[in-house]
Parts: sequence; C-alpha cells; structure tokens
Amino acid sequence: MQSIAAAKRSPDAFLLDQLRAYGPVIGMLAVLLIFAVLKPSFLSAANIGNVLHQSVILIIMSFGLAVVMAMRGVDLSIAQIADGAGLLAAVLMLHREPLWIVILVPIAFGLIAGLINGLLTAYAGIPAIISTLGMMFVIRSGELLMTNGAEPQILFTLPRGLTRDFLFIGQGSIGPVSALVMLGLVVFVLMMIVTNLTTFARRARAVGGNSRAAYLAGVNVRAVFAGGFVLAGLLSSIAGVALVARTSIAVPRGAEPYLLDAFAAVYLGTLLSRRAEITIWGTLLGGLFITFLGNGLTLLGLGAPYRYALNGGFILLAMAIGALKRNQ
Amino acid sequence: MVSPETLSAPAVRPAVECRSIRKSFPGVVALDDVSLSIAQGEIHALLGQNGAGKSTLVKILTGVYQADAGQIFIDGKEVRLRDVREAEAKGIAIVHQDQQLIAQFDVVSNALLGIEIVRLGGLLDRKTMRLRVQEALDRVQAEFSPNALVRDLSVAQRAQVAIAAALLRNPTALILDEPTASLSDKEAEHLFEIIRSLRAQGVTIIYISHYLDEVLGLVDRISVLRDGRLVATTPAAGVSRGDIVKMIVGREVSQLYPKEKVPIGSPLLEVRGLAQGSALRGVDLTVRRGEILGIAGLVGAGRSELALTLMGALKRDAGTVSIDGRPSNPADPRIANEQGFALIPEDRRQEGLIADLPVRENLTLSNIARWAKFGLLNPRLEAGAARELVDRLAIQPPSIKTLARNLSGGNQQKVVVGRWLTGDSRVFLFDEPTTGVDVGSKIEIYRQMVELARSGAAVIFISSDFEEISAMCDRTVVMRRGRINKVIDDQAQATPEALLYWASGSAAPETAEVATAQSARSPMQTALDTMFSRWSTIAGMLLTVAVIAVLAPQFVGLGNIFDVLKQGSVLAFIALGLTVVLIAGGFDMSAGAASQFAANVAAGTLIGGFGSAAAIGLGGSLGLLIGVINAGLILFLRIPAFVATLGMMFVIMGATLLYNGGQALTLSDAPGFFFLGQGYVGPVPFVFILLVAFTFVLHVILKETRLGLRMYAVGQNAAAAALRGVGLKQYAFASCALGGLVLGLAGVFLASYSYGASALATGIDFLISALAATFLGSTISRAGELNVIGTVVAAIFLASLSNGLILIGVSSQALPGIQGIVLVLSISLGLMRKRSIGQILIF
Repeated sequence: MQSIAAAKRSPDAFLLDQLRAYGPVIGMLAVLLIFAVLKPSFLSAANIGNVLHQSVILIIMSFGLAVVMAMRGVDLSIAQIADGAGLLAAVLMLHREPLWIVILVPIAFGLIAGLINGLLTAYAGIPAIISTLGMMFVIRSGELLMTNGAEPQILFTLPRGLTRDFLFIGQGSIGPVSALVMLGLVVFVLMMIVTNLTTFARRARAVGGNSRAAYLAGVNVRAVFAGGFVLAGLLSSIAGVALVARTSIAVPRGAEPYLLDAFAAVYLGTLLSRRAEITIWGTLLGGLFITFLGNGLTLLGLGAPYRYALNGGFILLAMAIGALKRNQ
Repeated sequence: MVSPETLSAPAVRPAVECRSIRKSFPGVVALDDVSLSIAQGEIHALLGQNGAGKSTLVKILTGVYQADAGQIFIDGKEVRLRDVREAEAKGIAIVHQDQQLIAQFDVVSNALLGIEIVRLGGLLDRKTMRLRVQEALDRVQAEFSPNALVRDLSVAQRAQVAIAAALLRNPTALILDEPTASLSDKEAEHLFEIIRSLRAQGVTIIYISHYLDEVLGLVDRISVLRDGRLVATTPAAGVSRGDIVKMIVGREVSQLYPKEKVPIGSPLLEVRGLAQGSALRGVDLTVRRGEILGIAGLVGAGRSELALTLMGALKRDAGTVSIDGRPSNPADPRIANEQGFALIPEDRRQEGLIADLPVRENLTLSNIARWAKFGLLNPRLEAGAARELVDRLAIQPPSIKTLARNLSGGNQQKVVVGRWLTGDSRVFLFDEPTTGVDVGSKIEIYRQMVELARSGAAVIFISSDFEEISAMCDRTVVMRRGRINKVIDDQAQATPEALLYWASGSAAPETAEVATAQSARSPMQTALDTMFSRWSTIAGMLLTVAVIAVLAPQFVGLGNIFDVLKQGSVLAFIALGLTVVLIAGGFDMSAGAASQFAANVAAGTLIGGFGSAAAIGLGGSLGLLIGVINAGLILFLRIPAFVATLGMMFVIMGATLLYNGGQALTLSDAPGFFFLGQGYVGPVPFVFILLVAFTFVLHVILKETRLGLRMYAVGQNAAAAALRGVGLKQYAFASCALGGLVLGLAGVFLASYSYGASALATGIDFLISALAATFLGSTISRAGELNVIGTVVAAIFLASLSNGLILIGVSSQALPGIQGIVLVLSISLGLMRKRSIGQILIF
C-alpha cells in the first residue's frame, strides 16, 4: 500500500523527500566545505588525520550516551566519569603501578559509577537527569580531594620507559594508522554488534519504543535500562583513559567539555537516520562533524565561544528538523 | 412489557433536546437520526452496548464532536457547541468515569479551577471560594474538608469532588459517565443517595451506566441506543432488567464464528480466592487444557485486573494460583512468561505493540533469547522464525520489515498474539482482543484461539462483546465488581442476553458488604503520616544545623549567621528562578547559564558607564528574553524541554564568552551597585532583604493569584487542566518568562555580590545547587510540590551546610559532592513518600 502511495507522489514531493533524507548530510558537508575554502589547510591529509585522531575520544563517549538516550534516559555524568577514570589512570601511573592496573582500575571505576547510576535510575526510580547530575558532582568532589584541589597529574615527568606502553594507546601508531583510531574502530565495530545483534539491543529498542509494552511482553525493563548506564560508564572510562594517554596529563575537570560535545554528536546523529532515531552510525558521523567543526573554528582563529554557540545551535536545529520529520 | 416506541415527552419543558442527530465516521454511521429529550429535573439513563453510539452522543453534547446534521436545544434555545468550554458555558457539565483531578491540589482549587473567584488585581478570593465549594460539597453530602488534598481522598470521595466541581458550573444538565465503575457496592449506594438528593434539588441528570440494576432503582426514564439508533425512551417504572436487556442486545447474530470442538483435558490453571486491591475480591477459576473459557464483564468488573494480576503486573493481595499443579506467584510478567502465561493486553497500541519497531522485532521480543547464544543473536534463524509467524498468521502485508504502526488494527493484534507462539506458553489471556479490528482479522484471531486450544493450551477470553463470548467459548463466567457473579457451564445457556443480564446486575439481593479489600486507614495514622512528611525535612535540617553548631560553636555567632545569609542569598535567587520555570515549563538546563550571562551583561553595562539602573534593567530583560526563547522552542517548535534548554545553555555560554572575550569583567568603585549584593541594613545583608521581598512577591503570584494557580495546574496535570479550559501554552509560557526574569535579576545580584563576572562559563555549577535547593524545598510543602518558600529555606540551608562543614574542617572540595548527594536524597525522599515529582521526566 505504501509503495503505491509513493509511486503516486509528484516529482516535487519526491524531491522534497530526498531533501529531507539527505539534506542534513549535505548541510554538514557544506559547512565543512566553507572551512575548506576559507582555510585550505583544513583538508590537508595531516589535518584530517589529526582530527580523526582527536575525534575518537568524543565518539567513544557519545556511543554510551547514545545507548542511554535511545532508551529515553540521559546520562550527564559521562564526561565526569571519563575525567575521573583518566585521573585515576594518571595517579596510578605516577605511583608506578603495572600497566594492567593502570588500565583496569579506571575501567572498573567506570563500570561501578555506571552501575550506581543504573541502580538509582532504574531500580530506585530517580529521574536519570537528577541521579546522573548527582553522580557528576560526587565524582568531581572525589577528583578534587584526590588531587589536593585540582593539581595536574603530569606524566612526562616520569621516565619514558615507564610510560611508553601506556602512552602508546594515545600517541602510538600501527603502520600509518594511529593506535587511537584503531581503538575507535574496534569500539565502533563492537558497538555496532552490541546495538544490532544482541538480545540486549532488541530489548533496549523495545524499552525505548514503549516501556509498558516491553514490560508486559516479559522484558526485564529495569535491568535493561540499568544496563545502558553501565555500558555508558564503561565506554566513558575507556575514553577517559585514552584521553590521558593522548595528552600525557590529567587535570581534574579537563574532560568536562566533552559532555556538551557528546550531546551535540548524538542529536546531530539523529538527523542522519530517516526517522530521526538515535543510532551508532549517526552518532559516529555526528561526533566526526563536531570534531571537524571545532578544528575548523580553531584554524580560523575562532575559539570556544563559537564552538559553544554552534553546538547549541546545531542541537536546536537537529531537534526542530527531527520534529518536522516525525510530523509529516 | 413496554412497546419499543418513543413515548411522548412529559409536559415539563425539556432541559436538553436533541433532534435528528446524525454523525458518521469513515466507514461507520455512529448516530443515525437520534432524537432525545431530557426533561427538567429528571434522571435520564442512556443505555446501550459498546459501539451503540452512547459515547458519540455524549461527545456531541459536550462539544468534543460536532454533529453532521440535527439540532440541539438547551432550555428551549438552539445551540451550537463547538468545543468543551462552549458546551460548559451553555450549561452541559460532565463528570467522567476517571475523574480528572489534580492530585496535589486541595478540593477548593480543584473544584473551581477554570472558574476561580478573584478580587481586584487577579488575587484569589480564597474565603469566598471556600464558602462556595463548601456549599457544593454539602449538596453532595461530602464529609471531608474543602482543604483536604485530593491525593488523600478515596475514589468515592474524588467522585464527590468531581460532581461538586460540575455543580459549581451551574449546569442545565449534568452528565454522569459510568460514575460507579470503580466504586464498591456500598460506595455506589451512597452515590445513588447523593444523585437522588440532587434530583430533589432540581438538577437534571443524564446517567450513563452498564449496570442495569442500579439504573432501574435510580432513574426516571431510560433511553436505549443500539447500532447508532434510538430504540426506545421509556419510564423506568414497571420495566424489568430482562426487558432492557432485550432492547439493548436484540440484534441478529451478524457473523459466523469459527468455533470447533476440541478435546478438553485435565485442569491446567487453578485460581482460588484471588484478590487485588478493590478490583478483585476473591476470584475462583479452573481452566482445562484445550478449553476456551470466556470471561464476560462490563467496565469496572475487574476483567483486565484479573489478567494483569495473573501476569504479575499487579501485585495480588490474597489467593493462590497454580499452573499444571505448580504454584505460581510471579513478581513480574517475565517470570509469568517463564511459568507459561501469555498476555494479549487490552490496549493494543499502548500496552501491546512497540509501534515504531518492525514486525520482526515485535514478534520475537518475548522469546528473543531463543535465537541467541551468550546474548549474541543469530539473525538468520530469528528472521526465519518471524517470517514463519507472518505466514502462519497471514499478516498483511506479508513482510517482517513493516513498522508495526503501519499495520491495520487486526494485523497489529495478530503480531501481539504471534509474539507468544514461539515460546512454551500454555495459558493464553486474551483481553478484549477484537476491539477496533476488522471482521476478517477477527475471524483470524478466533481461529488462532481454537488452534491454541487444540494444541492443549488453556485460553481465557475476556470480552465485553457478549456475542463473541457466547459463540467462541466452551464455558463462561460472568464478572461483576471484582467477583464471579455467575458461572455458566452449559455454553448453550450463555446467550448474549443472559451474559448481559448477569454482568449488569447482582445474582441475589446484595448481602451485607464484607469489609472491602481496601483497608480504611485510621485518621490518626493519616494525620501522623502527614505530619511526618511535612516536618521531617525541616527536622532533618534543624538537626544538621544543631550538629554543626555543637562541633563548631562559632557557627551560631551572629556575624557568621549574617554571612551565611548573604552567601546563600545569591544562590537562592537562582534557585527561585529555576523553581518558577519548573512549575509549568518542564525543565531548564539553561538556568545557571542564563544568570551567568546576565551577570556579565550587568557588569559590562557598569563598566561601560551606564549606571546601576541600566545594569539591572538589561540583566532582567536578558533573562526574560532567554525565558521567552526557551518557551518558544518548547511550546511552538515542540522540542522536549530538556533538549531545548540544553541547546540554549550552549548558545548562552557561547554568547557569554563572546561578550566578555574570555576575560573576567571586574568592577571597582561602584558603591551604589555593590550595595545590592554586599550592603547591610543595620546588621542584615541587603541582598537577604531583597530575597525575602522577592520570595514574598513570587509566593503571592504563585499561590494567591489565578495565574499562579493555573501555572501549577498545567504543570501538575495538563490533561485535567485542559478539561477545565485551562490550556497549557499560555501558562507554560508565563512560567518560562517569569522564571527567566528572576534568573536575569539573580545574575545582576551575582555581579554585585562578586565584584563583577567571572570569565568561566560555569552555568552547570549553579544549576546543580539550584536544582538541589528546588527539590529539597519541594519536600517541605504539604503536597510535595515545588514552592518558592521551600526553595529559599533549602537554599539557605545548603549555604549553612557548606559554611558549617568548612568551619568543622571539611575540605571545600567535598562540597559539590555533598550537594550532589543532597539532590539525590531529596528526590528519593519525595519518591519514598510516593509523591509525584512533577514533569522532570525529560522525554
């Protein structure tokens, strides 16, 4: 029946449909093109490689947020979890702990923080926006106390031999591809599997679509919802460790700006799906666009204010377009 | 025996008259040439089966629908009723079966919402309002206080509030739509007394009910609709329940039913004495393998509650259930499913389908683990299973990719049924599976039931379409008011007439009501609870402060107290603004950023040499503007409040940094301006005096004016407010704009307090403190609602806490975390007391 209706549509309507489907992508490319025209170095291989390298941390964090938001939750603590995890890694490194501890302890921290978020939200029934905001501030306090009031934890004071393996995550490369980009690719592939080919994926989609119906159909709605927060905590901690490995320095609250970027990435990502859904694919492209945008602005000498304003503007634009798509 | 022709209307002038009303929807004629006259001062019953046209007629009378043809007269004058408000203004009031009231409001505010009594300046005239409501409550023999919160009233008392609210609108005719559906027999009997006394007072009542025995004892005349036509209007006196049943049912069996006899085996499901709240009061059932058991019942009979209780979605109060000899008491539907239960819920769209997912995912959801190893799906097997089901159920179009929302009603229902066919379910609960389904799909669903029975499953078929129950079942039980009213073992006796007869009235004269399951709580208990919930937060705060005072005596020094008040005041201002926005505007992520921006602009204005007045004016206007933009994004572009204000937060932070160029705007030598945030009047900080004044003004606006009352109403229950003609947009807008203004001014005071504005855009830091104060403050009020006084008390408490902890020697670095914990705890406190926390669910 739908195909008949589609065939009957006028060419104009067809064009409009195409524009609706591809307009946002075209729009994003156009924005990037403007940068390329204004600053040719924007499109140089070195710059593109650099941006890809940078974007991985945002993208990994955004994946977690995307999973939670697809279930109609929200996680305001992702950036702070990343921050805390990175700081933990740096402190452990400075205490000359072995590499596996430096990596696994922060990740365990992320899992626990995510689990607490999940328990508070799914089991205690506290709105996600409140519980994760609370978590954000608790972690922040923990960081300040641990670092004696935000003292930077600097890794290059250590002997190179000690930090080499750890810093490889963020600064090394495998052949022509940076290790960080490899990590991003691996996480992307795993997340594509987790969000498409698992029982969790199906249940999570059902919870996001209609939680009452999912409950009556025998889905353990609470466990699935909590699972989203655990996954977000895990991904954030991985991103946080990678961030410190990239920059060799951990400053408390250094990862906070990623929260805003992650929201922008997820919402922009919805533009790339036909029915304004949150997807891993879309989030990947959204994260790339946000990083390119930031890079382009920096090249033009425009700083944080423009980034903030544009990120916010894009979120509003994405939602307005999404509303139009759903209405028609 | 009454002849089924319309009797001439009595000599009294009709209060409401319909002439030749006609209304059709695509594919159906809902009302066909219906003429009806309701006499002044009578109770007139409107009867008919589901789909007979009753609700369409009521919706036309209340302005929800417009008739295609025909005339309506009220008090002899022809009227056109274009919407609900107009119908109300012309004299038709309705009390819905689920009384839409605002739970957190008291009775007075609920009853007069939309027709508040105000004095000059929009101030509520509480005294007159209370008197008027008390009068109306007296008319409905209410024994509770008009000051009681609706939340604390029983269902029956809420019905009284709803009727009182309708009476306050001085209706020509009052429509009561299934008013007894959720009442116990005793409560219903009391309601009848009230209705009779209203008749004695001269009120005209149109009474809609399925319960024929109530109707016969209560009403003066009866009109019966069937298939969109008026069958008869007849005096109630001298008519028997059997006569009415014939008028209501009296249609030919319109379709063929694919009933087949399959061998019936041993008992599979045994239910004994199952009780659930006031909906189920001791139900016994036995269902055998291969049997289709019909459960016939009308609205409020407890049919769906029975199904939900068996599934574990409602918690049972008493009784035992066993499936195949093993006891069953599932905690949730997942466990029920493992035990062999499968539910096809009543509301297909809301409870059955996940409309935005394709057929495939809907079909395989319940047993998804079946096609997975270690959580990893085998998509080929799973798709194959889905495809097989689509074929087996003849779902149209025959594709597993179609979105469930794009299927017809019948095919949607097949998907919900199909979900359970892949598992080991042995007891199938079909709750009204054929409502809104075309004939072809109905037959398909009936076939599926027979198929299930043939495979040895037990099928429970719940329906209020007595024809299909009569035709499809092997045995039938009739439910009424949470009990089995009649068991019909010989299905030949289960004619639609017999089912309606038993469903609409009691088997025997009602025996004295055994104490109902709803245990009445003693007034003492309730009073204690109220006291606890009201004062526990304050007690906790005082205790905390006392502990701090003991540990750090300098805390209670007068100088320190005034310091704390000064420190807390600026934060309290931001929290005040946020509170006002949250009352009706949804959520506001941008509150802190807005204040921060206003602080920058105020500082910049002073640096530019434009003086304090300009700084205050610009800061306030900026906040107002941000509030208006937020409101526009939320209300007109319909972006969820959380996202819209999140986007705005970014934009504002960007704008702030552009404005200050990443530099702190430091003020010096502006003594007049500094007085706002730093001055003292005697020993008292001026900013605190300002705070008290602002709080007072906001409190009056929110609590003592029509505007404020309506802002709370739309924030707490937009649907109920809309029924009273109070629209969301206007008042949500007011909430955002007023809150924005306060946030802007808060920014100005911030600039004065901190000698200018900092360079960092730290909007989110202010946000958490403000949220913590707002939600902690809400636990202080009686109804657990957001309120400005509570917010200010909580903000000052938070400032004392920070100050005290530092005095004790706790690091200031721990403060954000403590605020985060206070925020989470204050919400948990509200949740523990089962208070709703407004609209902070974000999507």
